[in-house]
Amino acid sequence: MLKKQSSEEYDAIIIGAGIGGLVCGCYLAKAGMKVLICEQHYKPGGYCTSFRRGAFVFDAAADCFGAYRKDGITRKVFEELEIDKKLNIIRFDPPSIILTPDYRVSFWNDLEKTIEEFQTAFPDERDNIKKFFYFLSNSGAISISKLRNWTFKNLLDYYFTNDRLKAILSLPLLAMAGLPPSLMSAFMGVKFFSEFFLDGGYYPIGGMQMLSDTLAERFKEFGGELRLSSLVKKIRVRDNKVTGIVTENDGFIPSRLVVSNCDARQTFLKLLSKEKIERGFYNGIKNMMPSISNFIAYLGINKQFKPPQPQGSAVFFSQHYDLDRAYRSAQKSDIDGYGGHTFRISRDKSTIYAIIPAAFKNRTFWNNNKPRFLESLIEKIEKSTIPGLSEHIVYKEAATPYTLYRYTLNYKGASYGWASIPSQLAVPGLRKPPFLQNLYLTGHWTTLGVGISGVIYVSHETSKLILKKERNMIL
Amino acid sequence: MENGIEREIISIVSDITGFEPEEIKPETNFMKDLEVDSIKAIEITVALEKKFKISIRDEDVPNIMTVKQAVELVSNLLNQKGTNA
Repeated sequence: MLKKQSSEEYDAIIIGAGIGGLVCGCYLAKAGMKVLICEQHYKPGGYCTSFRRGAFVFDAAADCFGAYRKDGITRKVFEELEIDKKLNIIRFDPPSIILTPDYRVSFWNDLEKTIEEFQTAFPDERDNIKKFFYFLSNSGAISISKLRNWTFKNLLDYYFTNDRLKAILSLPLLAMAGLPPSLMSAFMGVKFFSEFFLDGGYYPIGGMQMLSDTLAERFKEFGGELRLSSLVKKIRVRDNKVTGIVTENDGFIPSRLVVSNCDARQTFLKLLSKEKIERGFYNGIKNMMPSISNFIAYLGINKQFKPPQPQGSAVFFSQHYDLDRAYRSAQKSDIDGYGGHTFRISRDKSTIYAIIPAAFKNRTFWNNNKPRFLESLIEKIEKSTIPGLSEHIVYKEAATPYTLYRYTLNYKGASYGWASIPSQLAVPGLRKPPFLQNLYLTGHWTTLGVGISGVIYVSHETSKLILKKERNMIL
Repeated sequence: MENGIEREIISIVSDITGFEPEEIKPETNFMKDLEVDSIKAIEITVALEKKFKISIRDEDVPNIMTVKQAVELVSNLLNQKGTNA
């Protein structure tokens, strides 16, 4: 056990109770450290939260998770923290379906079934499909690090010639990470496939909030302290060493270590004073590109609804195959030009969650345009994927990029931290800035992992890094 | 010069893996002994490039598995840079 500080000082303060902050908090508290997590929202979870409206429960942003196979990082961490026993986790099959006017292919839980389905749809690429999926399923190997400068387009061109197949394999990445294959990092694309599309569709019964609440409970059982509605305003530094944080409610709180699970841009440009940061690093952060945000529709459905697609599966739909055009439209928040959408009918078919990539605009823009966007998205879904949808809607609400910003303070409502482009992969110093002692970052703004399994990976690594240093300090 | 390079490389690997510099020897295997995976291999590569202002070929990334290999690669690249200058 690591020795706890006896005074008012914490061993570690974590900023942000998203999944990354909670996982990191659990590991540090479990090791005996005195840990405080400050979260600005009134509930834990960040993008992994749910909300209730009457009889309906909606997942706010994250709507399932991946990497829960036998040696997957999510399972490893849930088992180590013993939260696997407290959750009832199911898996949808198929977790994902890709739909266009000409094709319907699914990612099944059985890899061979997935390969066969792609081979039937694209017989001219039969052998290449097998090689590609086997490559994806073995992507744990160190050898994939050589893809660091490749785009996902480079990787697809290496394996395939059929342009429609390339577009179909890129569609879920555009829908989730908001990048076309010509910009998406091949390395991160492969991680999305291996950790999410090929090993995804896991869901905690009761909603995604169950995951966050269970982690928060576990953190408290380990002796951690969680303060909700507690906005951090500053990270204090003396002699290039962090000394604590300043919150809106409680003023200065001293701590030996600070772990920021919030937006890296905010950490360096707002929470820290400019003169404490290396100038080159500061300018680098300022020029980095965030991932795109989303527009999300939450629909409550009546009991007469007969789902045209399997309940629980994410359906990625596109009307066309020009993903660069779709990307440019998403950048302008142009639903018509984007020409696609993703949706999931809930397990009990009482709700539908529909999502499209959308650019950040200010509050006034969304106040004026949110209802029109929502109606337009419902109309598009009704025309292409769920005929008669509007007759069954009994409740509707939407989240805009501004809403996502407001609840999580992620820069420009970014859904996946920094954009997953090759030049932003593994930016040195983002997990542990070399010019400041005792400051660590975790979560999807460290450019090392995105999505729930990605932030679990980073937070597991960051906690290991901290605990190794702590143990060496005691020894 | 190589001793200086070795010290810098050990410091980078220590920062990324959390292992103390004293635990990292020239022959220590990054993957087997320091829990380096494909993501950390890229982190180490990018940090080496930035520190020594060199450009490492993609196909060499998975082959940097010990401090010794990293020192050899960095020294060669620095020598080439010196020759070309």
